[in-house]
Amino acid sequence: MSDTSVDKPVAARRKLSAGPLGTGDKWFFRTTSIAAYFSFVLVALVLVFLFLKAWPALQTQGVDFIFGTKWVAEDGQPLIMQIGPMIYGSLLIALVGVLIATPMAISLAYMIVFMLGTRLAKVATTLIDLLAALPSVIIGLWGFYVFTPVAINWETTLHHYLAWIPIFQVENVDNAFRGSPFIAGWIVAVMIVPIVTSVTREIFSQLDRDLINGAIALGGSRLSVFRKVILPTSSGGVVGGVLLGLGRALGETVAIFYVLQISFDINWGNLLESHGGGVASWILARFGEATPDEISGLMAAGLVLFVITLIVNFVANTIVNRSQPWRKI
Amino acid sequence: MSFAPRPLVQPWKRANNARTFLILLASVMPAVITALAVLLTGFDANLAVIVVFLPLQIVAAGLVGLRAFGKRGFGDALLVVVTIFFSAFVLVLLLSVFLSVITEGSKAISLQFLTQNNIYISNTTSLDYGGVGNAILGTILIVGITTVLAVPLGIAMAVYLTQSQSKLRGMVRTVTQALSGLPSVVSGLFVLSIIVTFGFSKSGIFGSLALFPLMLPTVARVAEEALKLVPADLRLAALALGAPNYKAFFQVILPAAKSGLITALLLGLARVIGETAPLLLTVNVNNGTSWDPFNGPMETLPAYVYGYLSSSFSSAHQRAWGAGLVLLILVGVLFGLARFLGRAKSLKSKPTKQKASK
Repeated sequence: MSDTSVDKPVAARRKLSAGPLGTGDKWFFRTTSIAAYFSFVLVALVLVFLFLKAWPALQTQGVDFIFGTKWVAEDGQPLIMQIGPMIYGSLLIALVGVLIATPMAISLAYMIVFMLGTRLAKVATTLIDLLAALPSVIIGLWGFYVFTPVAINWETTLHHYLAWIPIFQVENVDNAFRGSPFIAGWIVAVMIVPIVTSVTREIFSQLDRDLINGAIALGGSRLSVFRKVILPTSSGGVVGGVLLGLGRALGETVAIFYVLQISFDINWGNLLESHGGGVASWILARFGEATPDEISGLMAAGLVLFVITLIVNFVANTIVNRSQPWRKI
Repeated sequence: MSFAPRPLVQPWKRANNARTFLILLASVMPAVITALAVLLTGFDANLAVIVVFLPLQIVAAGLVGLRAFGKRGFGDALLVVVTIFFSAFVLVLLLSVFLSVITEGSKAISLQFLTQNNIYISNTTSLDYGGVGNAILGTILIVGITTVLAVPLGIAMAVYLTQSQSKLRGMVRTVTQALSGLPSVVSGLFVLSIIVTFGFSKSGIFGSLALFPLMLPTVARVAEEALKLVPADLRLAALALGAPNYKAFFQVILPAAKSGLITALLLGLARVIGETAPLLLTVNVNNGTSWDPFNGPMETLPAYVYGYLSSSFSSAHQRAWGAGLVLLILVGVLFGLARFLGRAKSLKSKPTKQKASK
């Protein structure tokens, strides 16, 4: 056999590509590229326009816009707009929501992937997706009329028996329970359970079955397999899913607006007291009666919210994508 | 821990009757005890589930697990009970949402509620007058315009992500994913800032524009999944036969992925049809019927719910629930259609999927 061809470097390999063939193809790829690059343009447009309108407020308020704790918008007084308590409130509610939603989502994903038969698993998946499709205004409606009375009941009990834990302490019982961050946290949890579940389920279902079967063959029980095989191998993706949920929770507007009593005195963590805040809900609450100057402040609040969620989502997506190598093309 | 010898676990033997009985007992007793406690002492039922039932169930299942399978049975029983409890909890929340919207909403629904508009209706007007006809119309017009804008663009993005060899695909995908986390209120503020900057007046079209960034990533993501399901061999075969890329797409890939792309459209619609905050910021509410999305105020279903919810009169609440039910039905129909088409698709692609997972 001719060995000479083996020694030569294979640089002369014919290039196989499915690039554009002719003008029709060029236009085809050009159009789709423009559509794709439009996503960059859209993000840039959102940032630029919000920034343009937010600039007057950011300029007059300075750094205090983010860290200050006052919002004065009355006739005859200089406008003070500082969004600090609302940012803290958003984070607090999102944290409560994530803490409630995560165990539920992991349980659901475990149930769907490892406990239910194929048919029931499909039904459960559909139900979860349906929960994800529920508009937030409906969740808000339900939260306001149906869930709040139930939750007040839970809160009264929690306060009665567990008041020695700081987060369940209440200064004044008359001004507590209704409209508390606790209720808002639950509402947020209902809204982010689906997304955390679907990410977790995806990752659970793609786990190496041989690894799990091997662990069972070695004498592992359900619990030990879950703790020592399933959780460690999927933890990255689950954390990513939880962060995605956090991003959604931070941006939740209408549902929180209904169930939460929004006030500007900061609620550091007394979950059962009737005051809290959220950037998105604050924008909605102030919007109706705002003067053009105050609108600028609300734009700035929106900008801050956008930047926060952009960062959270970016980190979350990076983690999720990295833990799902099978999804890459 | 008991000092009795641990029962030998022999999984190949049928479980003995005593064990089956114990498991049955552990599954039923806590519920019975809780029900009795609620009935006899008048203890609050919501609370009893968490304070009485769950601990009892955990203890019962743990004891039976310990008795039947030894120490490992204890842990497994805990895991199973906690998993089922949390899952059932989510199911109860979901059912509660549905049942409350359906029972409360159906009280308001009537032909006249679905067709009339809201002129001369106040918070105290009885439910015999007025309705959400104008809101349904407005929602359909606004969301329709959004669909016309977002679906072609989203599908084109998906085509770019699946068909081209560009190096920027990863970045486009990252940005699209980031966009899908865009808070709806920010989208509304963005369009509002455009309105303020150029001195436009608010109208339905700006509502469509505000929904657009929310719909686009959903359509792009689902369409990308749908296009990925088409085997690459089909496209390569078309190219090998000398077809240019655009013909391969329009004549081979598009017909194969049609149902998936319709699913993308439907899920995108379901995503934006209930969005409230962007519409509140960019469209003025309107009690009358408006056919013109380019001028003047326009009513939408989410805004209708929002408007009546804050009131303290019961007929206003009924209106909010009724509009909520209409919204829920719209979402349900869209979602059901998407599921139906998606199921047809996944049945076809089942063999390849199984191969890939093994």
